[in-house]
Amino acid sequence: MVERELTAATPPVSRRGLSSLNKVALTAFLGALLFAVWAVVFEQPFYLGLATEALILGGLAMSVDLLLGYCGLLSLGHALFFGLGAYMGGLLLLHYTGSFWLTCLLVVPASAAIGLVGGLIALRSSGVYFALITFAMAQVVEKVVFVTNEIGLESPRGAVDVGGSDGFQGVPGVEVDLLLFSLDLRDPLSFFLLTLTLVSVTYLGLYWLMSTPFGRTLRALRTNERRLPHLGYAPRRFKLAAFVLSAVIAGFFGALYPMLRGGAFPELLTFGMSGDAVISVIIGGTGTLIGPLIGTALLVFMRSVVGSELGDLHVIIVGLVFIAAVIFFPKGIVGYARAYLDRPKPDRGRTDNDG
Amino acid sequence: MVDLFTYLQFVLAPQMVTGLVIGVAVILMALGLTIIFGLLDVINLAHGAFYALGGFVLITLLGLGLDFWVAMVLVPLLVLPAGLVTERLLIQRVFHSGDRHTLTLLLTFGLSLVMEDLFKIIYGPDPHRPQPPISGAVELLGMYLPTYRVFLIFFGALLIAALSLFLFRSDFGARIRAAAYDRHMAASLGIQVKSVYSWTFALGLAVAALSGVLLSPIYGVYPDMGHGFIFLAFAVVIVGGLGSIKGAVVAGLLLTQVFVLASLVMSPVWADVLVFATMVLVLLFRPQGLFGSLAHG
Repeated sequence: MVERELTAATPPVSRRGLSSLNKVALTAFLGALLFAVWAVVFEQPFYLGLATEALILGGLAMSVDLLLGYCGLLSLGHALFFGLGAYMGGLLLLHYTGSFWLTCLLVVPASAAIGLVGGLIALRSSGVYFALITFAMAQVVEKVVFVTNEIGLESPRGAVDVGGSDGFQGVPGVEVDLLLFSLDLRDPLSFFLLTLTLVSVTYLGLYWLMSTPFGRTLRALRTNERRLPHLGYAPRRFKLAAFVLSAVIAGFFGALYPMLRGGAFPELLTFGMSGDAVISVIIGGTGTLIGPLIGTALLVFMRSVVGSELGDLHVIIVGLVFIAAVIFFPKGIVGYARAYLDRPKPDRGRTDNDG
Repeated sequence: MVDLFTYLQFVLAPQMVTGLVIGVAVILMALGLTIIFGLLDVINLAHGAFYALGGFVLITLLGLGLDFWVAMVLVPLLVLPAGLVTERLLIQRVFHSGDRHTLTLLLTFGLSLVMEDLFKIIYGPDPHRPQPPISGAVELLGMYLPTYRVFLIFFGALLIAALSLFLFRSDFGARIRAAAYDRHMAASLGIQVKSVYSWTFALGLAVAALSGVLLSPIYGVYPDMGHGFIFLAFAVVIVGGLGSIKGAVVAGLLLTQVFVLASLVMSPVWADVLVFATMVLVLLFRPQGLFGSLAHG
């Protein structure tokens, strides 16, 4: 009987030099920079915008991976946090402020509050119940957003209109003040580089967090939840903390979306979005953090490039690749890359032991 | 007084009848889901896709010139082999892994993507609306109800009763319950557990397809026609208890009535929120749902 595990549950081994995971991450980062050079040299603002969208969606996938890969919680409704983040960010920029940092400063605690409420509801349950509750929660909120227009708020620029089934458009271009200089996000390259930085910082932050006692407790939770209380830990608190953190990440990257596309729509909250994030996580490699980013890049590429060639057929291809990944390649792209990088090297291993 | 009576007769009662129609359909969907979960521990996210499959096979058969009633009998029979193949090719592959819950959930999610897109490519995104096989209306206590809806309520109730009889009174039903209770013990008593799994999975899907057939004259046939129902069906299964037949029936009637009656006084969207709130409340106090599991009746 072959035991299949979704994650390569081994913790990042601390050794001299970069861990295999960070090697993959560094390669991906350099790849992204190379891509930016290519896009600038050959003047491809469309692909830069697409890549920026992939990075933003990658942030959502990372937040899903934080729950699935490290706590064993499959969320089928993370688009809820991403979409609400997008709405909050977009409405703030449209009606109240032009400041990037102020928007972030407001979206993050608001996402944390939404995550706390969602977590308190969803974490009443575990396993499949958790998956179904998160699914239902997102469905319900999506329907509410779908029919909501004016929310009774008056802003200096008129009544705040969420826009119902159409969403809203017209979020102005944003300038990011970075003390020494400022980035104009209307420039595709600036936006791409900023998003790449934010994604990298999030990755490194989470990678570090997973090596702290907090991260190790999450991993222990995933491995054996029943044993944890006997060791004096309260599993629910850790799960709730991870859930809130995950909601904050999803909401934060959601807030970037209207800056890129100029608006937010109810589609951002649909099951399709949550599902895509889960697909990216599985294809890229669960519990690797960098895998979801690579998975998202692949998926966005499939959807827009292959999708424009093949039309509806590409969803079938995505679905089949996904099914094949679950059955045949449960470790995902990064999982296998990691196994390759970590393969035993007899001579070097011996010197390590001797020294 | 007259106003109240008129309200009851022309607003409340017809709405409750509509609720019964939805209720019967949702219960049929939920029964398939709950049987599959109770026995195989599999949350079938492709259930809505198989519901749609029923509708599409129906319009294909009607297009071939078959009678609605003949098609209604044929559809579940045609979906059965599809269910058997799905179980063998997808579910069995990950059935013995530690992450069975998550993996089967993901697999059936992938399957629903593929199926719904296939429907879209073959039949187009627009709804098809087959003619109801029974036209006309019947008068009941002064209300005029479409005959087909009345038929649907009775036929659905009959199906639900037949399914429970099959599960709790037939030999194969006993095997299913035995396998759900303890599959190793069942296997050592000579029950072919593997084939019980396949057939039960296929049976659940056939029931979903049949509900697709029954509801297509009312709601139409389109690629994601299952989406509207699957939310209610999952809510019913969770409230009733994953794996419980009795739970699915009770929760199905309860939630759909809550939904339709709430829709009278508020927008259907907020009625959805109410259904979700009911579900959360039940989970707060009885995380395992209102009733027990398949193995325990």
